[in-house]
Amino acid sequence: MKKFLKIFSFIICLSALFYWIIPSQSNSSTIEKIKKRGYLLWGSDTEGGAPYVFPDPKDPSKLIGFEVDLSEAIARELGVKAKQAQNAWDSLIPALKRGDFDIVMNGIEITPQRQAEVLFSLPYYIYTEQLVVRKEETEIKNINDLKGKKVGTLSGAVAQDILTNLGGVDVRIYSGQVEPYEDLALGRLDAVLLDLPIAAYYAKPNPKLKYTGNPVGEGFYGIAIRKGDDELKKKIDEILIKLLKSGEIKKIYEKWDMWNETQEKLFKVAKKSKDYVTLEETKKAPIYTFFPNLLKGAGITILISVSSMALAIVLGLIITILRLYSRPPFSTAATAYIEIYRGTPLLIQLYILYYGLPNIGISLSPLLAAFIGLGMNYAAYEAELYRAGINAVPKGQMEAALSLGMTQSLAIKRIIMPQAVRIALPGVTNDFIALFKDSSLVSVIAMVELTKTYSILAATTLRFFELGLIVAFLYFAMSYPLSLLARKLEERLRVSKK
Amino acid sequence: MIKVKNLHKYYGDYHLFKGINLNIQKGEVVVFIGPSGSGKSTFLRCINGLEYFQEGEIAVNDIELHSINRLRPSKEDLETIRKVRLKVGMVFQQFNLFPHMTVMENIIEAPTRVLNINKSEAVENALSLLRRINIEKKANSYPDELSGGEQQRVAIARALAMKPAAMLFDEPTSSLDPEMVGEVLSVIKDLVEEGMTTLIATHEMGFAKEVADRVVVFDKGDIIEIGTPEEIFTSPKTERTKTFLSRVLK
Ligand SMILES: Nc1ncnc2c1ncn2[C@@H]1O[C@H](COP(=O)(O)OP(=O)(O)O)[C@@H](O)[C@H]1O
Ligand SMILES: [Mg+2]
Repeated sequence: MKKFLKIFSFIICLSALFYWIIPSQSNSSTIEKIKKRGYLLWGSDTEGGAPYVFPDPKDPSKLIGFEVDLSEAIARELGVKAKQAQNAWDSLIPALKRGDFDIVMNGIEITPQRQAEVLFSLPYYIYTEQLVVRKEETEIKNINDLKGKKVGTLSGAVAQDILTNLGGVDVRIYSGQVEPYEDLALGRLDAVLLDLPIAAYYAKPNPKLKYTGNPVGEGFYGIAIRKGDDELKKKIDEILIKLLKSGEIKKIYEKWDMWNETQEKLFKVAKKSKDYVTLEETKKAPIYTFFPNLLKGAGITILISVSSMALAIVLGLIITILRLYSRPPFSTAATAYIEIYRGTPLLIQLYILYYGLPNIGISLSPLLAAFIGLGMNYAAYEAELYRAGINAVPKGQMEAALSLGMTQSLAIKRIIMPQAVRIALPGVTNDFIALFKDSSLVSVIAMVELTKTYSILAATTLRFFELGLIVAFLYFAMSYPLSLLARKLEERLRVSKK
Repeated sequence: MIKVKNLHKYYGDYHLFKGINLNIQKGEVVVFIGPSGSGKSTFLRCINGLEYFQEGEIAVNDIELHSINRLRPSKEDLETIRKVRLKVGMVFQQFNLFPHMTVMENIIEAPTRVLNINKSEAVENALSLLRRINIEKKANSYPDELSGGEQQRVAIARALAMKPAAMLFDEPTSSLDPEMVGEVLSVIKDLVEEGMTTLIATHEMGFAKEVADRVVVFDKGDIIEIGTPEEIFTSPKTERTKTFLSRVLK
């Protein structure tokens, strides 16, 4: 028994360790979700306005903008429709991370801070910051003349950083892009520094305003994608390159008067990018290039199975003891637990844990939800195995123990349980092997374990056969030693020895 | 030392004991005989609390067990029963050794865990008990490596290791092959000769005659006769005792 406990506590520690080491994998299954759903959900702020995404003045029920055009082109290439999801610009990234939509495309500048939080596609636009002043302005010729001036810009935009870094500028932060230009025209501001597309749409047509100086602070707009969605990023990069090469992107920008020579650099950036592979390349790649992914998947499968089995074994024991030896309401609760867990599908239990609990404010990481979900489900089955084991211990054992002056709890611990566990052991081992296979169910809660890794890799490479054989072998390599170990344990723990 | 007063015991609706009285002195050897199903086991099991009873009193030394007919006895009740069990050792027909423990572990389990005797002392004590029953060589064997007679002797040693004031034997030789009965009875006889207060339910009439101070005859839950072995075996007073004896002694 002690050795058992030691092994289990070791496994639990190991699990905890892994839990911190392996970043909770959001999901590479977003791409599949998109396809199943039939549309690409892209987050943006229509209030942010033109020319990015905004209600068509002629028909406000319709959204237009260069990002609308671009999202439709990308969705078309993915084989789905595009659907815009409204979200305040400031909180687009947190909302993306929370999973409110698949991607964010809304003039999000690629910055190191943001790269720490999300993935970025290849740039789809090279923006510059344009200084705008009133027509009659003569003093301000470029950003170096802004000291002591009241300059408007948008909250969270790169222009804000530029202005702050200049020092001595009276920076006025706005949350919409119309208001700074209005205040400039009214004389409340001396200048406005904002991204060129904004200036092109709002300032250029305004007869009271003019551009001054060359654009500054060249940077990239990128499509923000959740960390872990590498699959989706690759796909979107492929599509962007395709659209760039076909000239479709240029057409869109020309439509919105946003095309300039600077954009030619997009081609160079695309060519330099190495972190993406085409489908053709993955089809030809030697099989071992998939090993790291598959092994990681197998590692996660082992982690989930072992840790949740440990939970099931311990929790099952507690439930059995409550059920058989405690008074109501505890014994009733234990019975109810078993019946409910055995009477409902594991899949529903996982859904409730992962997607349902957040409704009442409890948000579990995928790994934690998988661990608890599988562990609690299997605990019900282990409890039944233990109960059968306990019932198989002759009544005289308890009587003999009691007649020696043992308390009931000591008798359970020392005399009944050790025998019951030995009787239950073959069943528990079977369950453990079954759990290894059931663990693939947790892919529904965004865990990428071995089976999920396989379906992702196979779907992108179409190499179902070779990958399937490898994955089957990996499963076998995991469960066979378990069978051997179980047989050894049974041998060692046989109730009667001869 | 053991006083049974007005004992009533029901099994569900079945009223087995309808007010039994019996006093047993310290050092006395009482043998219980009677047909199967007459209540011998139940009587012994009531004494050490393995069966609850509905009316009456059982006192062991100065510890009193009151009638306990609740399905869920209180903590105090359980503690009282446990105190009685510490005074009274019990040996079962089916031996009931712990199969996952060696002979030695079987014997020292309760002394170390219940009486908190330290292990080396418990082992020392166990070895001397094993020497007495003549199987010290099997100390590290598991129960199923022993013959039935050896197992029952170990079960006796296991009960004695708790240093009880009295011993209850419930048909200790009934599951044994005939050739092993003698070795177990001789262990019990040694014990009796050392002055142990002993209660034995048995069908071994010869043994009863030999060791008993008093013989108690049970029939259908009643004590129908109590007497010395001579009285019971040579001049039984009741018809029922006669019929019973004629059946077992032919
Ligand atoms: N657990 C029980 N439930 C119901 N009836 C029982 C139980 N144990 C014993 N009895 C009944 O009580 C009577 C006495 O049994 P027992 O004490 O075992 O007799 P003996 O040991 O003399 O053979 C029998 O009629 C038996 O059927
Ligand atoms: Mg009996």
